[in-house]
Amino acid sequence: MSKTGVEAGRWAKLRPTNMISAAVAFVVLVVAFTLPFFVDVDKSYLGYFIFITCIYLTVAQGWNLVAGYTGQISLGQNAFFGLGAYTMAELWLHGIGLWFFFDVTLMIAAGIAPAILAIIVGIPLLSRLKGDYFSFGTLGLGMIIKVLFVKGGTVTGGANGVYLDSTRFTSMHVYYWCALFLAVFATFLVYALTRSRIGLALKAIREDDISAASHGINVLKYKVFAFAVAAFLAGVAGSIFGYYQFHITPDSVFSMNWLFYPILVVVLGGTGTVIGPIIGAFIVSGLFAYGDIYFGGYHPVVSGMLIILVMRFMPDGIMGIVSKTSGRLLGRAKHAVPSGM
Amino acid sequence: MNVLLQVLINGILFGSMYGVAAIGLSLIFGTMRIIFLAQGTIMVLFAYLTYFLFTLAGVDPYLSILIGIPIAFGCGLGVFYVLFKEAAALEDKNVSLLLAVGLMYMVDNLMLNIWGATPRYAATSYSSFTLRIGEINISFQRLMALVIALAAASIVYWFLKNTRLGTAVRAASEDMVSTTLLGISSNWVMAIAFGLGLALAGTAGVVMASVYSFDPNYGFPFALKALVALTLGGIGNVWGALAAGVLLGVVENLATYYIGAGWADAISYAAFILVLIFLPYGLFGRRGVVKKV
Repeated sequence: MSKTGVEAGRWAKLRPTNMISAAVAFVVLVVAFTLPFFVDVDKSYLGYFIFITCIYLTVAQGWNLVAGYTGQISLGQNAFFGLGAYTMAELWLHGIGLWFFFDVTLMIAAGIAPAILAIIVGIPLLSRLKGDYFSFGTLGLGMIIKVLFVKGGTVTGGANGVYLDSTRFTSMHVYYWCALFLAVFATFLVYALTRSRIGLALKAIREDDISAASHGINVLKYKVFAFAVAAFLAGVAGSIFGYYQFHITPDSVFSMNWLFYPILVVVLGGTGTVIGPIIGAFIVSGLFAYGDIYFGGYHPVVSGMLIILVMRFMPDGIMGIVSKTSGRLLGRAKHAVPSGM
Repeated sequence: MNVLLQVLINGILFGSMYGVAAIGLSLIFGTMRIIFLAQGTIMVLFAYLTYFLFTLAGVDPYLSILIGIPIAFGCGLGVFYVLFKEAAALEDKNVSLLLAVGLMYMVDNLMLNIWGATPRYAATSYSSFTLRIGEINISFQRLMALVIALAAASIVYWFLKNTRLGTAVRAASEDMVSTTLLGISSNWVMAIAFGLGLALAGTAGVVMASVYSFDPNYGFPFALKALVALTLGGIGNVWGALAAGVLLGVVENLATYYIGAGWADAISYAAFILVLIFLPYGLFGRRGVVKKV
């Protein structure tokens, strides 16, 4: 797999090194892009399924970047998700933006607001706290933001939340394509970042940040950058979710589910890989869909049990297993956790 | 003035339960670096156990402590060996975090489905005994809760300081690798810590059953508060965790009384983050993780 000489151009770095991953990505893309032509996305459950999978995937890829690649385990993603939803809603309600419904500028703004918060909060948090203490801090942050919104009174609508004009709902197609593009964008963004010099710095920080600092990497800058990107992705995903729900409440968008499920997606698929979260998102989404139908009220119990089983027996995630078996099959020495794609 | 004192005292009495749960978290986190978020859920589980022992078998809640603690300890050992043993050795802490979360979801929702969301309360014949000191009412039950919390903390402290096994647990909290090099089985030490952690959660649960009403939704918020208390108190500091829990209870009660319930939560979490940033060793603790990057 030598890349010297022949194709040493700027885009050469983006060539996938792992053929299995590339194949999986290709298949998923083909299926997702052609599905609406075979199935009526409006009426079939598949449309919603892919929609929600893409939302999980977007948040997950962001978390993957900050936690999987940079090693900073943030437990506050739900705060950014909810903040994105509320930002979008507030801007819409106050008449800012171009089209009012599925306005791209609103969505970008919904991503930027959490990113700014991430930078503001991230600098003190990331410079002072390491490892578990940073995780505690982000957990506390998430809690505070939720309470702030519950107590926000007339500005944020308090516990009842914000209502958006649901007559705007035309068809599922818009949501489907939007979420899909977002998920593809998120995945590609993370992929490109991890293959760049930035990614190299992030991985160095994950492995040993003191060593990275001694090699001249501005650790704080990169940590905050990853944190902000994760916040951005979570925020935009939140805004799309908000567009779908039309009624944004603190309980629905700040729920811990938006924290734990994306983490589960990443860990199930394989932390620190780009394809892992894709597989993970489909499985997690499928589990919940299946569970809801067949187990009713007990489905969180089943989900919990499955989380336990997976974490107990497959802590490297699916990509970890794929990597190990493909290594054995192909006779090559492979790391247990793929460091590339 | 008397109202203030009353609020203070109630805060102290309630906070002692945060403290007990926090000590448990401290033991688990100290040795294994696992944030055991299911601590609150286990507490609620044992509260239910106490409640049913009382209503179905007439066992006095205070007697239930004698039954509950060994069961909780055994559960802790079991949970560790079955679930957390491998995860504790991994560098990736997400796995153990998710294990705890999965356990929490599972048990929380099992309890919710089987026993419903109606608040329960083990009302004994002496539930309404109150002591009057001057103008202040102190509920007998709540005072007992504080007494039990102090007793539990003392026992744990004595264990950690004066027994060989306890010293091993303390050593493992400080440096697991060196401890293993000295020939101490890390798995056994971690299992003991886990058992103790759950036993403490069980104690808090038994106490809660007869003192405050509870329902399955209590678990996670309680675990979070216990985590706040843990950080305030400093990891590895038994009395610190208890004191921090009490302090948290007081702050919460004061805030709830003077400002309002929702803000009380925000204040607790804000204090949490401030302490994390500016007092990383906790308010009293010895060790923390602060390095300038």
